[in-house]
Amino acid sequence: MRTKQEYLIRYKDGSLYCKLADIWIDPSKPVKKALITHAHFDHFTFGCEEYISTKETAILLKERIGENIEIKTFEYGEEFKINGINISFHPSGHILGSSQIRFIFAEEKWLISGDFKLQKDQTCKQYEIVKTDYLISECTFGLPIFKWDESSKIANDISKWITNSPEKTSLLFCYSLGKAQRLLNEISQTNFKGNIYSHGSIHKMNNIYRDLGIDIKDTIKFESKKKIDELKGSLILLPPSLSKGSYLKNFKNIQTAFASGWMSIRALRKRSGYDKGFAISDHADWDGILEVVKKSEAKNVFFHHGDSEVLSKYLVEKESINILLFGK
Amino acid sequence: MSLKKFSELFGDLDSINSTNNKIEVLKNYFLSNDPIDNSWAIYLLTGKSNKRFISGRYLKNLFSQIYEYPQWLIDTCYLKVGDSAEVITLLLKNKTNSRKKKLSNISLNELLSETIPALSELNEEEKNLEIKNLWETLPEDNHLIFNKILTGTFRVGVSIGLITKSISKLINIEEEIISHRLMGDFKPSIDSYEFLINKNINLQELNSKPFPFLLANTIEDKIFKNSINDFQFEWKYDGIRMQLIKRSGNVSLWTRGQELVNESFPELVEKMSYIKDDFVLDGELLVWNFKEQIAFDFSLLQKRINRKSPNRTIQMKYPIIFIAYDLLEINEKDIREIKLENRRIKLEKYSSKWQIKTKNNISDIFKICDLIFPKDWPEALTYKEKSRENNTEGLIIKKKNSIYSSGRKKGIWWKYKVDPMQLDAVLIYAKGGSGRRAGLYTDYSFALWKDKELIKFASAYSGLTDIEIKELDKWIRKNTIEKFGPVRSLKPEMVFEISFEKIQISKRHKSGIAVRFPRITKWRKDKKINDADSLENAYELMKKIS
Repeated sequence: MRTKQEYLIRYKDGSLYCKLADIWIDPSKPVKKALITHAHFDHFTFGCEEYISTKETAILLKERIGENIEIKTFEYGEEFKINGINISFHPSGHILGSSQIRFIFAEEKWLISGDFKLQKDQTCKQYEIVKTDYLISECTFGLPIFKWDESSKIANDISKWITNSPEKTSLLFCYSLGKAQRLLNEISQTNFKGNIYSHGSIHKMNNIYRDLGIDIKDTIKFESKKKIDELKGSLILLPPSLSKGSYLKNFKNIQTAFASGWMSIRALRKRSGYDKGFAISDHADWDGILEVVKKSEAKNVFFHHGDSEVLSKYLVEKESINILLFGK
Repeated sequence: MSLKKFSELFGDLDSINSTNNKIEVLKNYFLSNDPIDNSWAIYLLTGKSNKRFISGRYLKNLFSQIYEYPQWLIDTCYLKVGDSAEVITLLLKNKTNSRKKKLSNISLNELLSETIPALSELNEEEKNLEIKNLWETLPEDNHLIFNKILTGTFRVGVSIGLITKSISKLINIEEEIISHRLMGDFKPSIDSYEFLINKNINLQELNSKPFPFLLANTIEDKIFKNSINDFQFEWKYDGIRMQLIKRSGNVSLWTRGQELVNESFPELVEKMSYIKDDFVLDGELLVWNFKEQIAFDFSLLQKRINRKSPNRTIQMKYPIIFIAYDLLEINEKDIREIKLENRRIKLEKYSSKWQIKTKNNISDIFKICDLIFPKDWPEALTYKEKSRENNTEGLIIKKKNSIYSSGRKKGIWWKYKVDPMQLDAVLIYAKGGSGRRAGLYTDYSFALWKDKELIKFASAYSGLTDIEIKELDKWIRKNTIEKFGPVRSLKPEMVFEISFEKIQISKRHKSGIAVRFPRITKWRKDKKINDADSLENAYELMKKIS
């Protein structure tokens, strides 16, 4: 057994780091060279000297950080070399441009899953099974109580939720990048044919998705000065940050909902303060994580983000897979 | 028509916050379903069925056995979810992909009156097989309801009040009548539902049922602006609130929780039936210290509550009394619309008549409550402060010219309770909550100083706001010293004001004291742990009171 320091990739200052290539993965502090799995705010930071990502992620990063960043892009599956290590991006199915990152060095394969899901999502590339020796996987929903329904079913529930209260304005809170576009795509395939408004932050992302060739229903950019009557029976997508505080005071006669995997638990739903919760997630559920672990054929697995202890113990007991503990 | 419909109703009620919308949803449900299923729905939603067919633990074990899930994994999931029925429901998802024909149209009635009761006639092995079979044949959407009924944990945000309102709207009859019909033993049947929605009000049928109780509000300062002469003052007893009814010669005892408790207090039923008149009395049942003419502690009453058909010895050991404070009906005449002061005159008149004219002596089991006559509000306050001396909780202040309406109507009855006793204590342990509080540390233990050691003296979980709970939860996670299962021991740093009703010596506790109804009344962020109270302070408090 090697010590922590001898692993190709390990934890350093709270982020994943490959010493041999002197490169960081989704670092939380500015560094020289950063590989970025996807463009959610908790996966990149401002001020790195050089970013490396897929083309789609690069466009989103530029939107979020600024046009002037130094960024190198690669296609999915395209290998590039840094200090003798072969590196490549592979679709992770989380959001547009999201990727897993594979490292190959001296015939040893490492795979960083990034945030991923296996479920169908027409707004991004389907998760690709990548074989590896070492797997570093997220496990945000790493408990067997998390099992997602088909997203079309959730979209139908949302559609019903809106049309059952035609006298109300329905506010659906969701993350502005990824979740919002996936929901729009799904909702446009339901019976709901009313108006859909998007908050500015979501509207911006919709446009980028559309520019990149993703089929997103046209929505109306939401201006908070809209007359209440006009909004009756329609849907407004808003980022979760606006659910607290005074923003909602502008509205009358509304119903609110939150779209998130956590909404599958009644206690969390009740505590969240929204009228309704729709359990839809861009992360893998329990079965999804197990499937990836199995199909990757990894003999060594390390989990981060979530209930890693539970999943680790389960895999050791049930599947005799070696679980690595890096320590953060 | 079916369990499926009821599951949908449950989901809707669970996700609607507006009362009016809930009423609308209920009304529509009642309109579109069979009377028998409606009566079952009412039975479930009003929590009249808390019968537990199997325990949550049993359910978890069974799932663990069938699907080969390690017990520890299920327990970990439980900590996140906080409800056994829900954990199993979530775990069952996509698990029961058997080719068995789905029981998608089973009616609530069939499930509740046949399928589930039949389980208790099976031996353990058969029972397990049958539950597994039901899991596999019931559609997934119905699992939560099924598991909740099995484990007797059926609680939704629906009160009897809401059901009352929706039925009242459905048939256009006043809420009071519906609330009256819903009182007491509601046995699910076509008849009971049809009776509930019967547009003809039949007094005969309502005979044994109590009136909706009038409840007191916590005192508000504005009351002191009124003349003291507008009010009637009584001691607030710490017993069981009850209506004692005698109609057509039959006595029935109803608690405020709408339970018929004749069987627990047969001596009262027997003696009251000797009275010639018919009546409905509102009052309090207590275990009475006849020597000192004060109530015994509530703990003695607890020894009687759950015991059906108590024998002579128990009856002698814990002698009960019914203290009447209101007369609501006399010889078939409903007098709730008469002013309180006049009802009181009638109560006194009839009571003395009964005491003299009834063949058997009833004074050892029935009396009317004494009134107090403070000259002014300061004197009322003095009475209130003295209430611990006669084992009461304070005063009840009733408006003399009020009628007996139902519910917690403002401005009619006020409760003026003795200030609770308080100590400042240090938070030392926290435990995960359940239900709505699952996943958060919400059960706390508090300690007092003894020399230089902190000794646990009380546990409490109520009193903090949701925001405070979240803040404290965060702090707890960062300041844990040790974990023992679900319990964490914490760095002594946080001081809380703990209020409680009673304090007494207890050999069972390390601290040597036990307190009743401890609750958190303030997060004393201004205090350091050295400012917290000591056990000695607690003993002094005890001395002061006794």
